Amino acid sequence: MSIALWTIQILLTPLVSPLCVGVIRKLKATWQNRQGASVFQPYRDLWKLMHKDEVMSRDASWIFRVAPVMVFAVTMVVGASIPLFASFLENSLTGDLLMVVYALAIGTFFLALAGMDTGSAFGGFGSSREMTVSALAEGGLIFSLLTVALISGTTNLFTMVNVATIPSGQHVLSALLALCGFVIVLLAETSRFPFDNPATHLELTMIHEAMILEYSGKKLALMEWASANKLFLFMALSVNLFFPIGLAQQATVGAIGLGMIIFLIKVAVFCFVIAFIESSMAKYRFFRLPDLLFIAFILNVVAISLIR
Amino acid sequence: MQKEIMQSYLPQDAVAEIFDDAAVFEVPSAEIKHVVEELCVRHGAEFKLMTATDERAEHDCFKIWYVFGVPGEHFFLVPFIRLQDTEIFPSIASMVGRAMDDERRIKTFFGLTPLEHPDLRPIILHEHWPEDVFPLRKDCNWKTRPRMESGEYVFQKVEGEGIYEIPVGPIHAGIIEPGHFRFSMAGEHIMLLEPRLGYVHKGSEKLFEVLPLEEKITLAEKISGDSSFGHSLAFCQALESLSDTHPSERALSLRVVYAELERLANHFGDLGAIMMDTGYSFGGAHGARMRERMMQINERLTGSRFLRGVNAVGGVCKDVNDTEVKALLAELQEISEDFSEVIAVTEESVSLLNRLKGAGVISLKIAQQEGLVGVAAKAVGIARDTRLDYPYAAYRDWALADIATETSGDVYARFRVRIKEAHASIRIIQAVLDQLPKGAIHPKNKKVTFKKNALSVSAVEGWRGEIVYVVKTNEKGTISRVVPRDPSCVNWAALKHAGYDNVIPDFPLINKSFNLSYSGNDM
Repeated sequence: MSIALWTIQILLTPLVSPLCVGVIRKLKATWQNRQGASVFQPYRDLWKLMHKDEVMSRDASWIFRVAPVMVFAVTMVVGASIPLFASFLENSLTGDLLMVVYALAIGTFFLALAGMDTGSAFGGFGSSREMTVSALAEGGLIFSLLTVALISGTTNLFTMVNVATIPSGQHVLSALLALCGFVIVLLAETSRFPFDNPATHLELTMIHEAMILEYSGKKLALMEWASANKLFLFMALSVNLFFPIGLAQQATVGAIGLGMIIFLIKVAVFCFVIAFIESSMAKYRFFRLPDLLFIAFILNVVAISLIR
Repeated sequence: MQKEIMQSYLPQDAVAEIFDDAAVFEVPSAEIKHVVEELCVRHGAEFKLMTATDERAEHDCFKIWYVFGVPGEHFFLVPFIRLQDTEIFPSIASMVGRAMDDERRIKTFFGLTPLEHPDLRPIILHEHWPEDVFPLRKDCNWKTRPRMESGEYVFQKVEGEGIYEIPVGPIHAGIIEPGHFRFSMAGEHIMLLEPRLGYVHKGSEKLFEVLPLEEKITLAEKISGDSSFGHSLAFCQALESLSDTHPSERALSLRVVYAELERLANHFGDLGAIMMDTGYSFGGAHGARMRERMMQINERLTGSRFLRGVNAVGGVCKDVNDTEVKALLAELQEISEDFSEVIAVTEESVSLLNRLKGAGVISLKIAQQEGLVGVAAKAVGIARDTRLDYPYAAYRDWALADIATETSGDVYARFRVRIKEAHASIRIIQAVLDQLPKGAIHPKNKKVTFKKNALSVSAVEGWRGEIVYVVKTNEKGTISRVVPRDPSCVNWAALKHAGYDNVIPDFPLINKSFNLSYSGNDM
């Protein structure tokens, strides 16, 4: 039973994440009066890319070749380290919040290195921008997770959602502030509006896309898949930490089934929120982004200071 | 009467030949700088363009032509100099900024050297083109393929700590025309931008000399596809002036309708594209939708989404019947309300306005120095509009109430100018359609013969800005030279100033707010 559950937990992230991307794109298309591609299009894209030839720069080093695997592997590890549909599972090895934050940082690190590796100007400024944004986002990310940790008295994410403090009405204000901070960081880390435009074709404005501009074929597929995974993981973290309702408490088929359905609904709602943000506003100017990330940080500091 | 006023602008001893609204007079080579200065400074004439002709076969000389316009008086002054036994002429680039690239073009295409010109690198033609083959000389056969050369283009360089270069293009990630941009950067800030164009050079000017008449009009439509009607209109007007053809009142009115329809389609498209580039997808989607609606109206009226094949010498080929007039009037009302509604929503978006305001500012001084035209000039407050300054077609009767201008010179100003112009266009079309004169639209079976040794200048306010055509005939009365001047040629030179000191992620947006044509520049 336990092996089966962990298999589901590990496979859930890569299986569902392209669907989230597809749903967001479909919603955005609908709000632009367009028909849009099917929600399953990201799967087809991955399939297509997996069967394509690769072109690689002569100047590319081992970093360029290894980075996609690293970035993808990191998202798989983090996928196993955070509560998705069940809270009774235990992971004391990688389930700690600092572990998760810095595992993700390893992914960002390799992504940025890969961007610079071929020496293309686009990759270079993509990496530079990514590091600027993620360095500023780190504080907000840790402090928002820390707020929940302080409320629940543990830093293990699985235990955190088990304590289920927020629905019980304690520290609601702190939790809400931390949620706001977390969502801002989420948008920055997953390259969404108002930080980055995942749909743009304008090389000069890109952050994430600029770093993976040199990739093609299977490596591009891994990169795309990894960024979809990251989006899914951040959404899972925010819905489960701040709304830990409906998570399976025991290992019965019924509870797990219900937990899975509720979890997917929560994620779907979050996709709706992201699509709504992206449809209703313009991207920010690059030099306004630090302000936004500082706001996230300050919100979380206030949240922590309000506890007790 | 007009002749007397024209005479007052000329140097004292000059003898001018008058063709309709253009006065052509010869100036000794040594005096051209003085004459240009007189015209610009004392008389306030506007420099339009300068070009050359190869008349070695007939007159054993090259001629350099300087075209000036006098906006208040609605006519053009064309001094020219004769280059006999010499291939060097005095440069006026130090006095007239806009002449800089024109002189480079003369150098590249005719092999005539402007003396004391600061930048003599070839323009449009790249290194693989041999430097001693001058395509616009008459003895250069357009059907021969020149040998392949190689070389390196030297970009301007910025020195300093931490300065790095970003090469962008000529192939871009989006589906746009090819052009190379070289940015010198300090962090995210643009220190220097040097556009390098010429990737879509098609030899249009040479083709104008060899194609039969009907195909010349088709060629004019393809100088810049999005301004098909503006270009064919300017070209046909020049030909009408050369052949003393006078289109009917109805044809002149319909030309106004079509020209404004083209403006509407492009302004809607541009407004959408500007918003799309900031990531504001609501506005982007609606801009694209409204442009498509205009294109479908164009197709319904003329059978061509780009209004091609509509203009002919002597009138237009597509009429609009009474039922269509009613339908179009109703539809325009609807479009006007629709447009106002979309704009009202976008003007509420703080995030959009924040991106548009303050980005890509061009100062009035630079705009005047570079001779900016069209939407970009109106956005810095230069109230110049060919429809008022040199009225043509039925604009003589349907003048604009006022020219849409803004003062801030940033992306937002160019955005606003387009909105105002779109509203004005709808009003103009409505007014013209309300009182459409009756009659034929095109004189049937009239053979077109051109005046001999004549020159004609024609200007049209395309949606992007002023389109100028200079057409010249030779001793046999055949067209020996056509010089099309798309507004892009002028505004590309000014774009680099708009980029300076902006952050590079804003550059695509700034570029889009100008939306210049690569094809129209490269020809």
